[in-house]
Amino acid sequence: MSLVAEAFMNQLAAAEPWPENAALYQQLKEDQILLSDNAASLAVQAFLQMCNLPVRVVCRANAEYMSPSGKVPFIHVGNQVVSELGPIVQFVKAKGHSLSDGLDEVQKAEMKAYMELVNNMLLTAELYLQWCDDVTVEEITHPRYGSPYPWPLNRILSYQKQWEIRRKMKAIGWAGKSLEQVLEDVDQCCQALSQRLGTQPYFFNKQPTELDALVFGHLFTILTTQLITDELSEKVKNYGNLTAFCRRIEQQYFEGHDKDSSATASARYAKRSLLR
Amino acid sequence: MAAPMELSCWGGDWGLPSLHPESLTVMAYAKFAGAPLTVNTINNSWSTPKADVPVLISEDIVISQPAKILNFLRKQRYNADYELSAKQGADTLAYIALLEEKLLPALLHTFWVEAENYCSVTKPWFASRIPFPLSLYLPGKMSREALNRILLTRGGPPLYSLTEVEAQIYRDAKECLNLLSKRLGTSQFFFGNTPTTLDAFVFGFLAPVYKVCFPRVQLQEHLKQLTNLCRFCDDILTCYFKLTVTGHSPSGQDTADANLQKLTQLVNKESNLIEKMDDNLRKSPQHPPRKITTLKLAAGGEESSPLNRLSP
Repeated sequence: MSLVAEAFMNQLAAAEPWPENAALYQQLKEDQILLSDNAASLAVQAFLQMCNLPVRVVCRANAEYMSPSGKVPFIHVGNQVVSELGPIVQFVKAKGHSLSDGLDEVQKAEMKAYMELVNNMLLTAELYLQWCDDVTVEEITHPRYGSPYPWPLNRILSYQKQWEIRRKMKAIGWAGKSLEQVLEDVDQCCQALSQRLGTQPYFFNKQPTELDALVFGHLFTILTTQLITDELSEKVKNYGNLTAFCRRIEQQYFEGHDKDSSATASARYAKRSLLR
Repeated sequence: MAAPMELSCWGGDWGLPSLHPESLTVMAYAKFAGAPLTVNTINNSWSTPKADVPVLISEDIVISQPAKILNFLRKQRYNADYELSAKQGADTLAYIALLEEKLLPALLHTFWVEAENYCSVTKPWFASRIPFPLSLYLPGKMSREALNRILLTRGGPPLYSLTEVEAQIYRDAKECLNLLSKRLGTSQFFFGNTPTTLDAFVFGFLAPVYKVCFPRVQLQEHLKQLTNLCRFCDDILTCYFKLTVTGHSPSGQDTADANLQKLTQLVNKESNLIEKMDDNLRKSPQHPPRKITTLKLAAGGEESSPLNRLSP
């Protein structure tokens, strides 16, 4: 978006307070949504909960196509539609709510860097696992992605998406990586996050920020999603402070609210692996 | 310490040892960690590898990406991150991810996609270093790959045209430069007074933007306003690279060697003279030889000390 359009949108956003009927759209929880999309959606939900902004989760099969950027989740607030965590954080900030105001410049730089680390490594690894690992693609991704549609549309759509993701992987140099190397990268990323978190409750000590929401979204989804093998979740379980972090955020922001949101969101795949 | 290591990478110009960000990162890291690396710049011969540059060759092992090369160097005990804490190591990874996501698209665009820059600077420079007929094909391929990468990673909706994508990536790059500048502050390197992996990566990405003279330079102009980053690049160039383009040791070492040689010759001459005088005096029966020889030695010592002061 050009600067003018962005300023205009910010002005529109600032004009009205947060309404009661804000909605967050994602794909169908039980049958359709995939690992990476669920992680993104959970991150946005966690962020909005941390800002104390009410939002209801609406599941639609065509959420990806409704979204202005083609990615889920997106929120429908008043008469504006915003998708993806970055723009949603900006939008919420324009309305006057922000989690990272108390940080100084260096800390803000660090927060942005760590968010890029999660996007660069964790998200790309999730996409690789879902779309480039042949076993997972055959057994999990293809059936789930096209499940709301009749044959042959379901196969066509999922092949199209797979081709698109594989092109992107090739452009950034991940196509040549093996699964072990990808899991190595995930381990390295988790190690970095674990070292940064240390013994603090949140990444920037007392208050949660959008980084905490993003990390929670990804790690919780990895921990509670059953895939072909448990290797991915084992990598995260190696770091005790990260699992404790996920449990803490789940207890603080998701329990007690409608149980539909995240606790049963994890009963996604055939079996559920409990967060111990 | 270990087997001799050779690095094949793109050469440099405009005061830089290399124009290619990844090659520059590896060269900088090798300097910081003190790894003895013979640098072979790609020239017009067919024997040097052109794809997947930079490439490290050590005995029979061939390693191609910067991250893997740095890992290999660390395993060979050339570790520039020795004194970093665990948290600083984690920060390194995060900032490298920031550079790759936010700065690299704009860097690729400035070098390879921006038409005026590509046609007048990048393509002729790279083509002159690749043998014909590969020079007709390879720069075009690198340009297409760069555009592809930019469009696939940043080009989805709601950005529908190339100009919108360009505007967005330059905005992100300027924000990234601002963040780096704030993080660097007034210190000499990112983690105190010794350079580390993060400094190598930042230098590798920033120096080409800073030094190469392009017709279209919006990123360079933004960078020049961030004086601490410019000072950072200049410091590394003067302290660690000393205007080397071919990868040889700096000229100061050569003059030191020459001085040492001259000094050795003079001392030898002096000692020959002393021996001759000694012989003469022994042959003549009247005078005892002791005092004269000590005087000669003192004179020899005085003459050599100014020469000592000359050599570094």
